[in-house]
Amino acid sequence: MPPSIPNAASSAVSAVTHCTWSSIAASTNRSIITSQCHRIAGFSTTASRPRFTKSRRKFRLWINGAGSVFKKHKPDGPNYLKPMTGAASPGLHPFPINPFYRSHPVLDEKARETVWRKVMQEGEPIKAVSAEFGIDINRVAAIVRLKEVEKDWEIKGKKLARPYARAMLSMLPTSSLGAQYQNKPYEAINEVHVHPYTMQQIYWPTSESRHFTREDAAKAFHKDMLSADKRVPHPELIQMEKNLLNGMSPHDAAAEFKKAVMESEQEAAEKQVAKAEREEKYLTRVKSKRFEFRFKQYNSENVGPQGKNRKTVGWRYGAPYYDRQKDHQIKIPTSVP
Amino acid sequence: MKPKRFHGLKRPKLRQSWNKYNLFNLAHMRSPKIGRGDNETFFQQKWRAKGMLRAYHGEHVVERKWERMFRRRLLAVAEMNPKYMAAFDGSELAAGRGSGRQIPPRWEMDNRSRMRVTPYMQMAFAPMERRLDIAVFRAMFASSARQARQFCVHGAVKVNGKKMPFPGYRLNPGDMFQVDPERVMFATGAKKDPSAMRPRRQPAAALPSNDTDAPAEDAAEAEAAAENAEEAAEAKPADAEQDPDTTDAPEPVRADMKPTRQQIQDIVKKAKQIIAEEDLSGGQKQSLRKFIKEVKPLLTRAGRPSASPTEITDELARMLGELKIGRDTSAEEESKKEAESDDPLDDLTSAQLEQLEARMQEHIRNEQENPYDPTKPYATPWRPRPFMAPFATIPRYLEVNQNICAAVYLRHPVARRGDAEVPTPFPYEVNQLAYNWYLRRR
Repeated sequence: MPPSIPNAASSAVSAVTHCTWSSIAASTNRSIITSQCHRIAGFSTTASRPRFTKSRRKFRLWINGAGSVFKKHKPDGPNYLKPMTGAASPGLHPFPINPFYRSHPVLDEKARETVWRKVMQEGEPIKAVSAEFGIDINRVAAIVRLKEVEKDWEIKGKKLARPYARAMLSMLPTSSLGAQYQNKPYEAINEVHVHPYTMQQIYWPTSESRHFTREDAAKAFHKDMLSADKRVPHPELIQMEKNLLNGMSPHDAAAEFKKAVMESEQEAAEKQVAKAEREEKYLTRVKSKRFEFRFKQYNSENVGPQGKNRKTVGWRYGAPYYDRQKDHQIKIPTSVP
Repeated sequence: MKPKRFHGLKRPKLRQSWNKYNLFNLAHMRSPKIGRGDNETFFQQKWRAKGMLRAYHGEHVVERKWERMFRRRLLAVAEMNPKYMAAFDGSELAAGRGSGRQIPPRWEMDNRSRMRVTPYMQMAFAPMERRLDIAVFRAMFASSARQARQFCVHGAVKVNGKKMPFPGYRLNPGDMFQVDPERVMFATGAKKDPSAMRPRRQPAAALPSNDTDAPAEDAAEAEAAAENAEEAAEAKPADAEQDPDTTDAPEPVRADMKPTRQQIQDIVKKAKQIIAEEDLSGGQKQSLRKFIKEVKPLLTRAGRPSASPTEITDELARMLGELKIGRDTSAEEESKKEAESDDPLDDLTSAQLEQLEARMQEHIRNEQENPYDPTKPYATPWRPRPFMAPFATIPRYLEVNQNICAAVYLRHPVARRGDAEVPTPFPYEVNQLAYNWYLRRR
């Protein structure tokens, strides 16, 4: 292979620039300068080094070409990369080669306000609001909680991050609610957790004539297992559908449903209060100038069958005490009440 | 420590970040055909897959810590249709076996779509999503997981209203976390123009005295300074107020009166300067001197430990209200009349006027919410940083309120049919191999 010769112009330029530089820098006698020039200006078989590596060049080409659409956000909805594999609905998969992650829409400002109004001003039970709009119970509670903080900030005159919120909601897919008309459910609300007991395949001989229901199936998995009808977040919804099937008018069924969820919410609240009261009963609070000491009654004999229960207090012979282990040196709290 | 080539182009690694290099790498990522050929052992396949995933999922978390966090149990949910559950009690699935009602399974017809499976393996890194710093990144309050971690460490993140400086705190379902909005605006906002970041030179203290309405201007400045003092004094107690989501009583914070004192002193200094340099009328000079005299006891009161900032600012505001040394208002009134006489708005109809007013209101609101403010560490008026939109997604296990930069961790991420909640850029097979790698010890 013949040696590749760099083009004449560029080598000449480099020689000239080198000469001028050295003459300025050194300003010694002419003979040295000429000899240096000769050495540099000789043939070189290597090509001049490109300014950018290939990968850098490709990056620059993309970011200034096809990728430039992502630079400035247009406020008309999400702008994701094009998916590689055949996705169910194009445009909502932020990761091109993972079709299993979908960017679900978030509720917009008006929808959150509607939910807050329904719960806090119209006094509807959370479960009823959840069923009406098809929003998860926990999400309804969270929306109200966050909205309360927002209102509190507004009253206090704290500055909200409005420009940020507006930009974010224009980038994300959003979903809105109309308080007046029938809405498409926002998400599945009656989901049941896949319990580890139900993950096993069991051989359960039973007679053919037996009426084997979900209840029996749950008992087959474990004696304490509840059936799916009881484990769903909205068992009242199933009762409502049953009422409808039995010929109750939709109006009455809805009224009964509302009554049932109101009762269940009341019950849950009472349970919580009772639990707090019970805990308070076994707690002695002593206020000092700086701290509040809380003493709990504790039975030190309560150490479990092996005497190694993790929740016992104090050091126990044979029970490992991890306090000095490397991971446990910083006590990261496990919960914030 | 941050790896040397965090967003490398030659051997690209996907990261939890909104960097444009990361976007390029994400856009050019092809399915790493691990395990398709027979050129790698199973160990090698798992090793490579796990390496790719760990570079993305919490790469700042040491491997040992992650190994302790890893759980082999993957969470999933199944949708239950209340209509179906009301109509059937489940016995119909078992009925008729062997009595002719059984439908024989047709395996050859079983061309269920790939999207109908529950992608359990995509949940391999679900425990990582519980970490506070990762959750802050997922809620889009920080531009990278590392930045989110820094926010935690620097004390800008609260969990249930209490400061949580540990990025490794694992959120429990129902936990609310909030980030300081200023930090969020900084993290998600466009960069400031570097030329604007240079500190500007302060104007000279002494002003030229040949300007006619200089005293009025100076008085206005003094008033502005007093307002600042009020703000500074009031900002302190506001911080100490009860957070609505904590049960703890607020810690009493003693108001720091030093800046207030300094500002009062500045006002006095300015007033003295005005008396010395401007040509004022006798009355104006008198009122200024009286003001200086009255302010002095206020200054000593501000120095006492029992000083109440609100009282002092009220006093100061009252004194400044009494001080009237502005220039005559007659000239202003004249100019106002002139403006009214040739008003271009007279020609518009009422509807047009209303429209104009609405637009003005909108403009004013925008201006108030998003003003130009050179003191901020980000470009003002705030705008999102470039190349941000393709990363914008909020997983369903979080409920975010962007206005207050707070979010609630609703539950642990779950898998459901055709959908896994863990945001991972990698396909199923890679996640599966990585999951198998971590099963090793367990």
